[in-house]
Amino acid sequence: MKRIVIPGEMVSDQRKRLGGNVFVSDGKIYSKVLGISDESDEKASVIPLEGKYFPQAEDVVIGVVSRVVFAGYGININSFTESFIPRSAMREDLRVGDLVSSKISYVNELREAELGFPRRMFGGDVIEVTPVRTPRLIGKNGSMLELLKQGTGCDIVVGKNGRVWARNGNLDLLRKVVMFINDNSYKSNLTNSVEAFFKAEGIQINIAPKGEKTNNAAEESEVLDANAEESEVLGGAESEELN
Amino acid sequence: MTEEKIPDYKKDKKRVDGRKMDELRPISIKVGVLPNADGSAYLEWGQNKVYAAVYGPREALPKHTQNPYKAVVKVTYRMATFSVPERKQPRPNRRDMEISKVLGEALTKVIFTEQFPNTEIGVYVEVIDSNAGSRVACLTAASCALANAGIPMKDLVAATGIGKAFGELIVDLNKDEEDAPDAVDIPFGIMPNSGEIVLLQMDGLLTKEEWAKLVPLGMKACADVYAVQKKALQEKFSLSEVSEKNVEAVVEAKPKQDHSKPGFEGVVKQSVSQQKETKTEKKEVKAKKVRK
Repeated sequence: MKRIVIPGEMVSDQRKRLGGNVFVSDGKIYSKVLGISDESDEKASVIPLEGKYFPQAEDVVIGVVSRVVFAGYGININSFTESFIPRSAMREDLRVGDLVSSKISYVNELREAELGFPRRMFGGDVIEVTPVRTPRLIGKNGSMLELLKQGTGCDIVVGKNGRVWARNGNLDLLRKVVMFINDNSYKSNLTNSVEAFFKAEGIQINIAPKGEKTNNAAEESEVLDANAEESEVLGGAESEELN
Repeated sequence: MTEEKIPDYKKDKKRVDGRKMDELRPISIKVGVLPNADGSAYLEWGQNKVYAAVYGPREALPKHTQNPYKAVVKVTYRMATFSVPERKQPRPNRRDMEISKVLGEALTKVIFTEQFPNTEIGVYVEVIDSNAGSRVACLTAASCALANAGIPMKDLVAATGIGKAFGELIVDLNKDEEDAPDAVDIPFGIMPNSGEIVLLQMDGLLTKEEWAKLVPLGMKACADVYAVQKKALQEKFSLSEVSEKNVEAVVEAKPKQDHSKPGFEGVVKQSVSQQKETKTEKKEVKAKKVRK
């Protein structure tokens, strides 16, 4: 059953596998955060509604160069600590304020992230959203992202750290829709409503069904499952190749 | 307060402001009120008005304040100069520092600090208006702001004043009761789900019997505070489906809080990204020139 839980509220009084954002006390499972409880027969977890970015290996993030030193660049990835890219990892020189996309290769016990495969991003615009809500911008199997790309004609990169980079296309419309998704991320059936919005704006959407087309019931279970596997998105060009 | 206005607590079973002995002043909480903070709350508790803002977890600076095993909860309690009848000196005094310390210790008990090594969680509580019990009001607001910031916690903290005035055991003392000749004032903060006490101070003297009677009163009052906190946090989110009709309505109605134009949050973010864009564009132009 899905419901809003607050920190310390009981999620389940049975023994279950522990998902994210829960803790056990006296054999009962409680929520750590303000979020949506996602309880099944085997597993109890909570999907957070608010929160800062918590770096994890394999996350695609969008960083801003915050510091340039002799050995390399300090990168702000919206986390607690600054990350570092050695000068040898970049082909071109970076300056403070430049945007870099990267995949986190390793996070140590102090939550310091090591960045792998850094790429400088040219031009474009960054929209900042709540980091824990970015899974909704991607959707299951990238369905929402595909919708956004088609609806606005933008090249989009969604960084897990709450930064959405976009270039070309209708950026004003994209910003509007992204903020709508951000503000309504706890509701179900978002993909359909965004699709309806684009249709109302007179924009044609034709999404090729990938494998099984999700029906409404499946969609509903999908939408709130923010921790479901998301397709990795690494730059507009690459994701097009993936598709 | 003149002597004749004060009702006889023992006989009338009624307090200065007409409350019952175990009745709280009206409480209202709103979360997410400060756009620039990671989490925030505004609380009105009787005449008390309190803002709480949470920033972080963020890198603790200066570096020697860092603890490689856990986060440091740094609370700053401040009273506005106009929050009390006589102007308060804005410089933090002994009382402000003490309250900051005890609130920090109370909140550290509930936060999973070990998840955030080397960081600091900044909690700023500002008293805009006060009438006794401002520290418990601040603690209540601060715990809501922490939950609003998405910081992992064992529980919320609900707090209230308990004590004695005019010979009766009461909860949530107001200023007149705090100034009573036999007043006992106990700021009392608990974790509502487990009933653990996280804040306990005392002004005055109580007998053992009175104390034993007072604690259950305080627990009950804190449960009422907790109900208000819970409602305030859940209010923002209702699990209704986005229907296709109201999407249009919402998106059309957006201009008021449209992030592309007005609203200072949107403006700040946009201008930052615009700066970035112009910078990168300039750079590209330069790079092209160099290549030529």
